[in-house]
Amino acid sequence: MKIKTALLSAVAGIALMSGAQADVDPSDTVSIVVPYGPGGGFDRAVRGFAPYFSEALGGANVITENIPGAGGQRGSTEVSRSEPDGLTLGIFNLPGFALPAILGEEVGYDLRELSWIGRLESDDYVLIVAADSEIQTLDDLIAIDDLIITSTGYGSTVLAALQITASELGLAENDPIYLSGYGGTTDAIVGLIRGDGQVSMAPVSSVTPYLESGDVRALAMSGNQSLFEGVPTFAEAGYPGLTPLNLQRSIAGPPGIDDATLTQLRSAFMDVVQNEEYLEYAKSIGMNMSPMNGADTAADISSSFEFYERFSTSLENPN
Amino acid sequence: MLDSLVTATLYLADGVTLMYLMLGVLVGLLFGIIPGLGGATAIALLLPLTFGMEPEQAITLMGGIMGSSAIGGSVTAILLNAPGTAPNAATCFDGYPLTRQGKAGLAIGAAATASSLGGIVGVIVLVAILPMAKSLVLLFGPPAFFMLAVLGLVSLTISNNNMLRGLIAAALGLFIGFVGYDDMGGTLRFTAGIDYLWDGIKLVPALIGLFAIAEMIRLMVEGGAISKVDRNELGEVKGVGAGFKAVFKHPRTVLSGSFIGTLVGIVPGVGGTVASFLSYSFTVQSSRDSSQFGKGDIRGVIAPEAANNAKDGGSLIPTLAFGIPGSAEMALFLGVLVLHGMQPGPLLLIEREWSLLVLIIALLLATIASACVIAVATKYLIKITFVDSSILIPTVLSVALVGAYALEGSLGDVIMAAVFGVIGYVMIRLDYPRITLVIAIVLGGMMERNFIQSMLMFRSDWTGFFRDTTSLVIFTIIVMALALPVLGRIRRRVRNANV
Repeated sequence: MKIKTALLSAVAGIALMSGAQADVDPSDTVSIVVPYGPGGGFDRAVRGFAPYFSEALGGANVITENIPGAGGQRGSTEVSRSEPDGLTLGIFNLPGFALPAILGEEVGYDLRELSWIGRLESDDYVLIVAADSEIQTLDDLIAIDDLIITSTGYGSTVLAALQITASELGLAENDPIYLSGYGGTTDAIVGLIRGDGQVSMAPVSSVTPYLESGDVRALAMSGNQSLFEGVPTFAEAGYPGLTPLNLQRSIAGPPGIDDATLTQLRSAFMDVVQNEEYLEYAKSIGMNMSPMNGADTAADISSSFEFYERFSTSLENPN
Repeated sequence: MLDSLVTATLYLADGVTLMYLMLGVLVGLLFGIIPGLGGATAIALLLPLTFGMEPEQAITLMGGIMGSSAIGGSVTAILLNAPGTAPNAATCFDGYPLTRQGKAGLAIGAAATASSLGGIVGVIVLVAILPMAKSLVLLFGPPAFFMLAVLGLVSLTISNNNMLRGLIAAALGLFIGFVGYDDMGGTLRFTAGIDYLWDGIKLVPALIGLFAIAEMIRLMVEGGAISKVDRNELGEVKGVGAGFKAVFKHPRTVLSGSFIGTLVGIVPGVGGTVASFLSYSFTVQSSRDSSQFGKGDIRGVIAPEAANNAKDGGSLIPTLAFGIPGSAEMALFLGVLVLHGMQPGPLLLIEREWSLLVLIIALLLATIASACVIAVATKYLIKITFVDSSILIPTVLSVALVGAYALEGSLGDVIMAAVFGVIGYVMIRLDYPRITLVIAIVLGGMMERNFIQSMLMFRSDWTGFFRDTTSLVIFTIIVMALALPVLGRIRRRVRNANV
């Protein structure tokens, strides 16, 4: 009897111990890696999320770790290669982190293999022209035969979005000039306002201030529903192929996090994104919240990956 | 405007806010003094701490840092020939020779005063042109940026005593600027398969090596202390007051420096390093007696210091009006604004006028406060230059290397700093200008990118550079900069022939 009890408690002890190893304890420290320096959109998203995530994990310490370098690849590779114990997570964007692999570069991670915790943001893309431009509709745009497009550099999400759009609209046949190389999305928008080129594209969150100030005008946007009055979605304008085009920011851990830990992290994630206080805060710092649970995010990543892969021939460097 | 001004002033008069401002000033000074660390690092470290603050408190704290780090950086540039931040590099030219003559107090006093005045001019210009900010930023397209880079390189080479060596250093800098991923061509250049080089040669580790480490290598070879004047001969440290007066004896230098600083600041992506250098070379070229420059002319300290604090006012214009940061520091500041729900862009200037005025006044107070702190502390700081090399070298080397590491937590940066330390020492020995190399690294990437963009815009017709008004104006300045010294020489020769 005594032996049985001892055995039982030993078994229970082992079970508890391994349970403790599998789950994230309130005494643990979870670090969320931002693959860029402090101050950018990724950093902002994680720093806003961390304190609420900590609360949802029963008080576990959640820290933001900036690992910049190699255009985001250093940080993301580090996450992908870390121990799958649920204590190292990272923030990734799509298509940004899918592009290098699709463009044939060697990368240290595979987005489809990661353990997805959930999606935070999703931003649709808006096709824009300067406010005083003669271009009023997509048809006007298609009719121009010496088009200059302002964009960020090769490997960037904005250039990829523009190339896919050009391919779907049939602009590619006119052999447009891609004025790539602007330092950031905003620089490309300002270049458009200045008249360096005739058309550009940017995610909703970047372009909204310029639409509101009346410096630029929207021709169409991706997604299922237009966010701006009088601006059609691509589907409404007759190009449903462009509906899936968007920019997503999601949280993931390395491949192979065990089911128990993954379930715990995913449910903590859902607690955060259903917390009204967090949502209000996220909105105040300019985040475009569009939460999605971990399982759906994983499925969505795979289908998005295929979407971009389909256009891989259009995504070659234009310059 | 007046309403907002009153609100902003009252806000800053609050005890807690003032505490944040002073905290910012002290942190900014400390980070400015340590080579490699600068305003950008300080903002990056404090950014997460602003999370729970009111937006205006966060702005005040950051204003304190931005207004003070450049002044802190001038101290090490003058005392150790190791600029604390990149824009202080031009201060070394005359600041360090003054130190070796035992006149460090004079140089630091002048630097602090010139910085304050420059900061004040910069802020005044900022307030005056804020309403026109948008059209001003829109003047600079790719062709104008290209011409600006050319202007920078031209004034760089002609202000060198030995033009050939200047050209070689500039060429080396341009070459170093090519290393890394080229996102226009989509290719990796000269990275030799090393992942670290993907992002190119970073400026800060290069700077730590070229100045701080190279200087310590030289000191190691020479031995002794930095100041060549006997400590006992110096007696009481004097000169801070004299430095203060010296600045007011050269009002033209202060003003031209401040205006050059503000103007260069407005152009996004060029930054303080170029501003202070252009100001220095302008002062050298426009002075009647330029024989003492590089040997300890006080104007050589005043000009770059006035410019590099004035540029803060200027560089806020593209940051606030368009959300295009002019420098790493501004990029981080942009992050602080966004974190606190202020979306930079055309509307920010109208919607949050009073918050911006808080920033402007904070900047102003920070420049003045930090100059006072430095003036008081000079007495103690100068002692550094009498410390024997056996103590100074290990201390500075470890601080410099830790600074390189702290930047991004990357060991690659430390190695890079060490490599540039050797390059820097070789350049000192062979008498090649290190600052030319640095500026060429800064300008190379910008020049190439904007040249390619311009040619795409012009559809390969190079005459487009002369159809763009801004670009044409800058081109005219380049021609004048090249022609004036030649014309002066011809006139002198003609006069001599007549006699």
